[in-house]
Order: sequence, then structure tokens, then C-alpha cells
Amino acid sequence: MSDPVSLSKDRPAAVPDSGTPLGRHAAAPATGPDTGSGTGPDTGSGTGPSAGTHAADGPQAAPVVTAYPVSFTGSAGEYFRLWIVNSALTVVTLGLYLPWARVRNRQYFYGHTWVDGHNFEYRADPRRLLRSYLLVGALFLAYVLTSESESLGWVSGLIALLFLGLYPWLVAQSMRFQAVNTVHRGLRFHFDGRVQDAYVAYGAANVAAAVSGGLALPWAWFMQRRYQLNNLRYGSARGLFRGDVAPMYLIALVGVGLLVGAGLLLAIPAGVALVAWMASQGFELDSLNWNSAGLLGVLFVVVAYVILLAMNGVAWQYVRAATMRYVLNNAELGGVVRTGATFNPWQVVWITVSNGVAQVLTLGLATPWADIRRNRYLLEGVTVRAIVPLDEFAGRQGGPESALGEAATELLDIGLGF
Amino acid sequence: MSGRDSWPEVPGVYFDGQVSRDHPATLHLGPDGARLRLPGRADHHWRAADVTVDPALPGVRRALSFPDGSRFETTDHAAVRDWESRQGRNRLLGGVARLEASWGAALGAVAVTGALLWGFVTFGLPVLARQAAAVTPQGVLATFDREALTVLEQQELVGPSRLSAARQAELQAAFRDVSAWAGGGYGYRLLLRDGEPAGSSGLGANAFALPNGTVVMTDQLVELGRSDRELIGVLAHEAGHVTQRHGLASVYQALGLGLIVTALTGDVVSASTFAAAVPVALVQGGYSRAAETQSDRIAARYLLERYGTTRPLQTILARLESAQGGAGGLPDLLNTHPGTDARIEHLRRLEDAAR
Repeated sequence: MSDPVSLSKDRPAAVPDSGTPLGRHAAAPATGPDTGSGTGPDTGSGTGPSAGTHAADGPQAAPVVTAYPVSFTGSAGEYFRLWIVNSALTVVTLGLYLPWARVRNRQYFYGHTWVDGHNFEYRADPRRLLRSYLLVGALFLAYVLTSESESLGWVSGLIALLFLGLYPWLVAQSMRFQAVNTVHRGLRFHFDGRVQDAYVAYGAANVAAAVSGGLALPWAWFMQRRYQLNNLRYGSARGLFRGDVAPMYLIALVGVGLLVGAGLLLAIPAGVALVAWMASQGFELDSLNWNSAGLLGVLFVVVAYVILLAMNGVAWQYVRAATMRYVLNNAELGGVVRTGATFNPWQVVWITVSNGVAQVLTLGLATPWADIRRNRYLLEGVTVRAIVPLDEFAGRQGGPESALGEAATELLDIGLGF
Repeated sequence: MSGRDSWPEVPGVYFDGQVSRDHPATLHLGPDGARLRLPGRADHHWRAADVTVDPALPGVRRALSFPDGSRFETTDHAAVRDWESRQGRNRLLGGVARLEASWGAALGAVAVTGALLWGFVTFGLPVLARQAAAVTPQGVLATFDREALTVLEQQELVGPSRLSAARQAELQAAFRDVSAWAGGGYGYRLLLRDGEPAGSSGLGANAFALPNGTVVMTDQLVELGRSDRELIGVLAHEAGHVTQRHGLASVYQALGLGLIVTALTGDVVSASTFAAAVPVALVQGGYSRAAETQSDRIAARYLLERYGTTRPLQTILARLESAQGGAGGLPDLLNTHPGTDARIEHLRRLEDAAR
């Protein structure tokens, strides 16, 4: 009654995923030596399945790297219907349905993400989310209402302080929640990062970044990605971030370069225009029409501000996409699986910017299309490479996740974009 | 194999929850539960109550999970749906999934969402804001007054009054009468201010009430009035805004609008900048037409009690509107909302009714 089927430990390891007469990705994975993403040959770098994986009985001499492309099968039309129906239900229920809507939206993306013939699943319980949403909503409302008042201003101060103080803990809880609610091939992910490490990666590192005027920001990114990946588990296989700090600085430099470049591009024509205008006035400063100059100046500042704001967004998008790519190219699981990313950060920037324009022009109705478009581009540029078949990962010791683990994750999945 | 009355055999894959290996399997879904058939293994049976069926999602295979952490996944949507409905599972989310499958429902959802958002913003929000304003403790109100005034002074919209001390004292005495009559325990005070301290960019001929009873009246409006009765009418109108808490309601309305925008765009920044702009919204936004009518009714009651007529307020409203014609700068608050004619007509009818 407890164990329906004993595990077939003697199953031949060479059978490539024969049991998937399912889904649109029933085709056998593209087996063969990895020719992908230019991070150097992986053959031989792994030393075989880690402790957590069941060693196959097959040949172990020369591990063969198999590349499994990640694919995304979501479609804009299908997702639009899901999105708008759930949005309407949220509005009709005065927001009470929001957790269900969010979970369904996310489930759609997880469910349409495939690796080696199997999709992911998002299993968060909307009823639990509702409680956290109500709590966060109430706090936020209290914050907004009291922040304008002098006599009750201390309440908003207290809320802000509470949020800042608990931020790293909230991040850790959120990661735990996301991980434990992600399922692939019947196994859950887990996140067991310690809270004190979160206070280093998300507390101390961010403070250092702020104090150093941004100089330590790339280091903070590095600490955060490392915390994220090194504490991730799939079954009993551990995640590992092989990346370094230096590339983060490189990414940040490109971002800063973008901003500086934009500033110069803006300043040079402006300077030329100014000189030309003064020349047209014959450089007689006394007779300059300062009134019209003032008007011109205001107009210039406004235009410059808008352009710089846009460039700031672009630079930030670049940093995010480039970081994601770098992290994916340096992530490992259980010593036997590596991810690789081939998407182009500049293309991601373009997609994000054009998505934003489309969303504004359609009053938000293009949001599902935009989300699908971005997600498809990102995911189809990701490959999973493994030196063991993907069906050889073992669950966590001690069997399925206990209720304890889930209770700890009860708090929330807050939008950490706050 | 799935006849109308037979319980289906569903092909799919089985994961034991211990290992990531997928096992091709068949699940027989019956009235009493689910029986798993795995090649080379003994069958296993779960009671229906122990089987969790995850709600359907478009294009995603169905998953059934069992108490021991194992699960079965299949693309046979129809069979699972059938069993689900016979077992009475996922009724609500199953309904949602049916809606999601239809373009008609999607179009309907667009219409419903749009209509409800519009309806909420135009009808629901004002009602909610009024309710919230009515239950707000009075202690909160004083800060609104203080901060709104700070904004007005910083933006040089008002400056110190240039009226003579004697004239100011007359108007203060008139306002004391009005506020004593209006009552409610608010912190009534009349501030006479120059509405054009920096040229024509100020408030001009204007009067407005802040939530806690601070009433600002500009020199320009005082000069526009041909009799004190007219000005007293205006003051009574403003006292009506105070006792009906219109100012607070408009603040809440603006806040609610900001929260909706935040929810729709997911942009918290806009909400906080919005909150910072609340005092300005309060002063520059004016009130709804319903609020104006309500305050007019209160002013009319005062005027009728004291003078037996509402004419003074009618004439100054008419003069304000004609004076506003050529004026640039900020729009006049008393006339922010169209329908001065209707308001005058309303005052006239109130007077007739009192006879």
C-alpha cells in the first residue's frame, strides 16, 4: 500500500526515453556529442553521476554528453484566452481570484516548457497565496495611507523598516516557495539556503553596493546568483554556480558604457547646436535673447531626461539578459548536468522594448503575446547537456517532501521586484 | 475504449516520485478509484479520495498524483475530464478551463473587464471613497490641511492677503457664524490669501475647503463679490464640503485610482509618486458634480435661514463663470465642473421650494 511499484533498478540505461508517447515532444532527444554553445568541450569534465544519482549499469568509461534542447510550446492565442479569462475573473471577484489567476498563468508557462519529452509543473496552492496576498496588500495599503500623514507617519516608517529588515529572509522564503513548487519528471526542486547566508547575499551585499556608490553592485549580483544556485536541489542533486565575479563587472561595464554613450550622443549634438546658435547670434553675449534661450534649455532638459530614462531601461534590460545568459552558461546540477544559453542579450533588449511599445499601444491587451514572445526566445536559446540520462535523478533522501518543508514556504511568493 | 458507460483505460507515463525515471503505464479510472497497470509489475490501486487531479490547463498534459508522491501524466484530456466530472472534482477550475478554450469567452472577458473597470472607476470608487471618508477619524484630517497648504505656498499659488485688517475681520466674523452653524467639530478657520502672488499664475478668484475645515478664499474672489452675502454664500458652500467630507473622499478616490493603475501595470513607483501628489490633487482636482450639488444645498439652507433667498450665491456663481472666460492660469475651482447654469437653476428651485 505504501509502495505501489518497486523501482526497476535493472532497467537498461541505454534505452533513450522510450516511455514518452506523450505531448508534442515525444521525439527522442537529439542525442550525440554536444556541438553547442562554445563554452568548451564538456566531455570528461564530469566525473560521473554524483552521489545522489543512481549509477547506471551501462558503460561508464567515456561519458557521452547529450544535449537536450529546451523547448517552449505556448501559443499567444491560447495564452491570451487564459490570461483574459483569468483577468476578468479577478476583476469580477474584486481581486480575490488573483492568486488563482497568477498560479494558472504561471502553470501555463511551466507546463509548456519541455526538456527531453517532459514538461515542468508549477504546484503552488492558491489558497495559501491568498492569505499572503491579503497580508501584503493590507501592509501596502497601510503604508500608502500613513506615508502622507504626519501624526501616523511612524506607521509607514515602521512598515518600511520591517520590509527592509526582513527583505533577505523574504527572498529566501520566496526562493524556497518557488523551488518546492516546481516539479519535473515527478521530482520536486528544493531550496535549502540558510537565512544567514541570505542576509549576506541580499542584505550585506546590497548595503555594500549602495555604500560604494554602485561599485560593489556586480559583486552583489554574483553573491546573489551563487546563493540562488548553490542552494538549489533537484531531487537530491545539488545545484552549482561555476561563475566568477569578473564577468559580472564586465556586464555592468557594458551597461554603464551604454549609459555614458547615450549621454555623449546626446551631449554632442546639443553642444554643436548651442555653438551654432551662439554663432548665429554673433557671439554677442550681451544681446543674447536669454528668454528664448531659457525656453530652449527647458525643452532640451525635458527631452534629454526622457531619452536618458529610456536608455536607463535599455541598459538595465541588457544587464539582466546578459547576467541570465552568463548564469545559465555556468550552472551545473549534480555534477552531471549543465545548462547553456545561446540567446543574444541585445535581442532580448529589442524584444523587451518592442513588447513594451506594443503593450502600451494596445492598452495592455498585447501582454500575453509579449510574454509568450519573450519567453519563447529565451527558452529556445537554452540547452541542457547531461552525461547521464535525465531519468536517473533520485528524489531527496527521506522520500517525498514533508509538510514541514511546505509550511515553511507558506509565507509567500512576493513580487521581489518591489 | 471509452464507451459511454465503461470507465476508461488511460495511457500515459508514471513517475514513482523517488526517481526521475518515466514508466509507460496505463491507468484505469473507475468509480471507486484508480488502478495503475505497469508492465511487469503488480497492479496498484488507490481509492478515489486519495487521488488528486490537477486542474486542466490548455495544451498541458493532465497529471494525477497519489499520496505516496507518485504521479501519472497523460494526454488523454477527455478521459480525465470525464472521470473528473463523474467524481465531482475541480468543478470551478474545470469551468474556467472551458472558458479559456473559447474565443467567444475571451472576447466577453475583454468586454467584461473593460466595462467593470470603467464602472468601478466611475461609480464604485466614489462610493467606496465616500464610505472611507465617513469613517476616517478626525485626527487624520489635520495633516491633510497642513500639507496641502504647504504645497500651495511652495508653488506660489497663494501669498499673504492684501486686504485691509478691517475687511478681513468682517469676513472672519461672517465665517465664524457659518462654521458655528455647520458644526461637526472640525478645525474651522478661514485663510484669506492673495491668489496671484506671482502674477497670473496663481489660483485667481477662488475658494476651496480642505478636509479639516480650513477654508481658503482669495483676495480676487473677495473683490469679485459685490456684497458680503455673496461671499457668505460661498463660505457656506465650502463649509458644506467640509461637513460632507468631500475633500477626503476625493483624496481616497485619487488613491484608489492610483492603486488600480498600480495593479494593472504592476508598477509600484507610480503609486508612490501618486501618493506624493495627493495634496495637489486635492487642491487642483476639484470635486464631483454630485459633491457640488450637495454643498450648494447646504449653502442654500444657510442662506434661506439667514436671508430668505439663495440669490447671492446664484449671482456670484454667474459672475465667476463670466470672469473665468478670459483668465489664463489654473482653472477656477468653483467652476472646475461644468454646469454652472444647472447649479444656478438648482439654487433657484431650492428657493422656490422654501416659499
